[in-house]
Amino acid sequence: MSRRTALQIGVYGLVCVIILLVPSVVDNAFILNKYARYLVLGILAMALSLSWGYTGILNLGQAVSFGLGSYSMAMALKLRTVPIHTGKGGLPDFMVWNNVTTLPWVWEPFYSLTFAFIAGIAVPAIFAALLGWFMFKGRITGVYVAIVTLAVLVVVNLLIIDLQRYTGGFNGITDLAQLQVFGLVFDAYGSETYYLIAVFLTVSLFFALAVTKSKAGLILQAIRDHEDRVRYFGYDVAHFKIFAFSVSAGIAGLAGMLYTIVMEFASPTFVGVPLSLSLVIWCAVGGRQSLLGAMLGAIIVTGMQGALSESKIFLETWMLIMGLVFVIVVLFLPKGLAGAAEMLAKRLLGNDKAAAAKETELPVRERASGEAGGAR
Amino acid sequence: MDVILAQIVTGLSIASILLLVALGLAIIYGATGVINMAHGELVMLGAYSAWALQTYVGIGLLPGLVIIFFVVGLFGWIIERVVIRHLYRRPLDTILATWGIGIMAQQGIRLIVGGELRYVQMPPSMSTGISLLGFETSAFRLFILAFSAMLFAFTWFLIYRTSFGMKLRAITQDREIASCFGIKSQRIYSLTFAYGAGLAGLAGALVSPLKSVSPEMGTTYVVDAFMVVVVGGVQSLVGTIASAGILGEFTGFLAFYSNDTIAKALVLLGIVILIRFRPQGLFMSKIRASSTGQ
Repeated sequence: MSRRTALQIGVYGLVCVIILLVPSVVDNAFILNKYARYLVLGILAMALSLSWGYTGILNLGQAVSFGLGSYSMAMALKLRTVPIHTGKGGLPDFMVWNNVTTLPWVWEPFYSLTFAFIAGIAVPAIFAALLGWFMFKGRITGVYVAIVTLAVLVVVNLLIIDLQRYTGGFNGITDLAQLQVFGLVFDAYGSETYYLIAVFLTVSLFFALAVTKSKAGLILQAIRDHEDRVRYFGYDVAHFKIFAFSVSAGIAGLAGMLYTIVMEFASPTFVGVPLSLSLVIWCAVGGRQSLLGAMLGAIIVTGMQGALSESKIFLETWMLIMGLVFVIVVLFLPKGLAGAAEMLAKRLLGNDKAAAAKETELPVRERASGEAGGAR
Repeated sequence: MDVILAQIVTGLSIASILLLVALGLAIIYGATGVINMAHGELVMLGAYSAWALQTYVGIGLLPGLVIIFFVVGLFGWIIERVVIRHLYRRPLDTILATWGIGIMAQQGIRLIVGGELRYVQMPPSMSTGISLLGFETSAFRLFILAFSAMLFAFTWFLIYRTSFGMKLRAITQDREIASCFGIKSQRIYSLTFAYGAGLAGLAGALVSPLKSVSPEMGTTYVVDAFMVVVVGGVQSLVGTIASAGILGEFTGFLAFYSNDTIAKALVLLGIVILIRFRPQGLFMSKIRASSTGQ
């Protein structure tokens, strides 16, 4: 283990501990719920960093995975609501309104919570793997990946809204039961939910870190920097890309499930273009090539948005400021705040070994990859 | 038979709007490789300019077109000078930066004008219906069809028959070599961007009487316009017009047989599959050397 890796694990661990300690300081249920929401979006941005920052797949449709996870949790919780809210034989209320008489077969398995948990991760991962197979086997790269993922996002969004009878359409799935596992009740405003999310955040962060530190992770970064060279070495680039794409989607699915728990509904906006693109902003602001950076980027930006939107002036100018910050980050800080922090740390620590190691391990070939992309 | 003909006319009407919106994007993307996500917002700005001219200055839609073209074009020129020119070597980042600009434009309009829907009046002379091949269509839609055809012809002339166009084509093929021949690529890029933006502004002004004007209106247009450009093939003007026609007709027909949502989803899926198997677009047989030698 290099010194840099040890340092990284230390910093990552410290951040997770701080996040886990928050409920012991904050005892306002409303604020805790808000923080929990930001953390979920942090997980989502972290997942995007894995595919975008580490592998160079600009996935503008990350919200598809998020939405699939969110809906599978919502379906399971909907089937567990007290009978007052649902129609005859446990039929969800919106189906009754839409004259659906029997539960569609897709919904059947969601009576089992275990199935819902697995589906929430597996369905997005498999969907991403199929989409990845479709794209990367055809050597679709760069801008075209962005366009295809965006188009797929729009299609999924349109379908969810259009299939109102089965998905609740524009209103989404509301009126959900609270999640109960092992006798624990996860109230969206309780500290249990916060801990649940914080624990999953820690687990998924370290899982993603392990992926990037593995040999496969190294190849992923090589693909980002120069895809053709990796291909000349004899690696099947498509397989590695599908892997990264699919793992990222799985984590996003997990985040989607957690989001349903904390928001107490699922809606087509979770599969919306605005969310998907905002996610890219958070990731870029935090630092796309750093898992922790991307995660903190999302938490900080959404947190600031939440805090500032309480005052009227900021509510109106917020998006303006955000757009400006984003343009500036893209222009001057391609590595985001994480890159800036790293540079600052290097300056402060002087040219000791750790700094040198950092430099060699993060060969950001921004320009080179850009040129290669342009030539294609 | 009548139904089919009526559908063809509807499809043509959709296609002409698509072409109008996509033309500016096609030129910017084809020539500079910049994915301009702010294109929809340029369309929106054009629509708002039309509204502002009509409401505050009293200039009607048609005489206002020239002003709108230059106003939005100037805006595009500023965007290029301030932001885009730093990003030519990072094509993926242009998506991000221009999207940021798009957000700013949207929110700026919302702050200045407000988020309410605005309405632009159709030129009175064109609010009547005309019968074409035995079908009632609005005169304004026919005007849009004619106008987009005219703009297309003008753009084609500009690119293939003027010295500006020749320089632009040279830069598109190889920027460095073109610079060696003394072509000021910076300037050509700025002007191209401004021209594309101006076209977007015209598109916005022309669709404004058909649909309500709102700060978010651009978002739908930018996706549609991209699909037209991708299907047609980058750097192929003829491809752009053909794909606008194809997509317009397809959307029209599919919407007739199912509903608008399904039609849109199906068209997008078709495009995804097309990109997979023909990323160069439908109408581009040779990629580099003779792509511009039509």
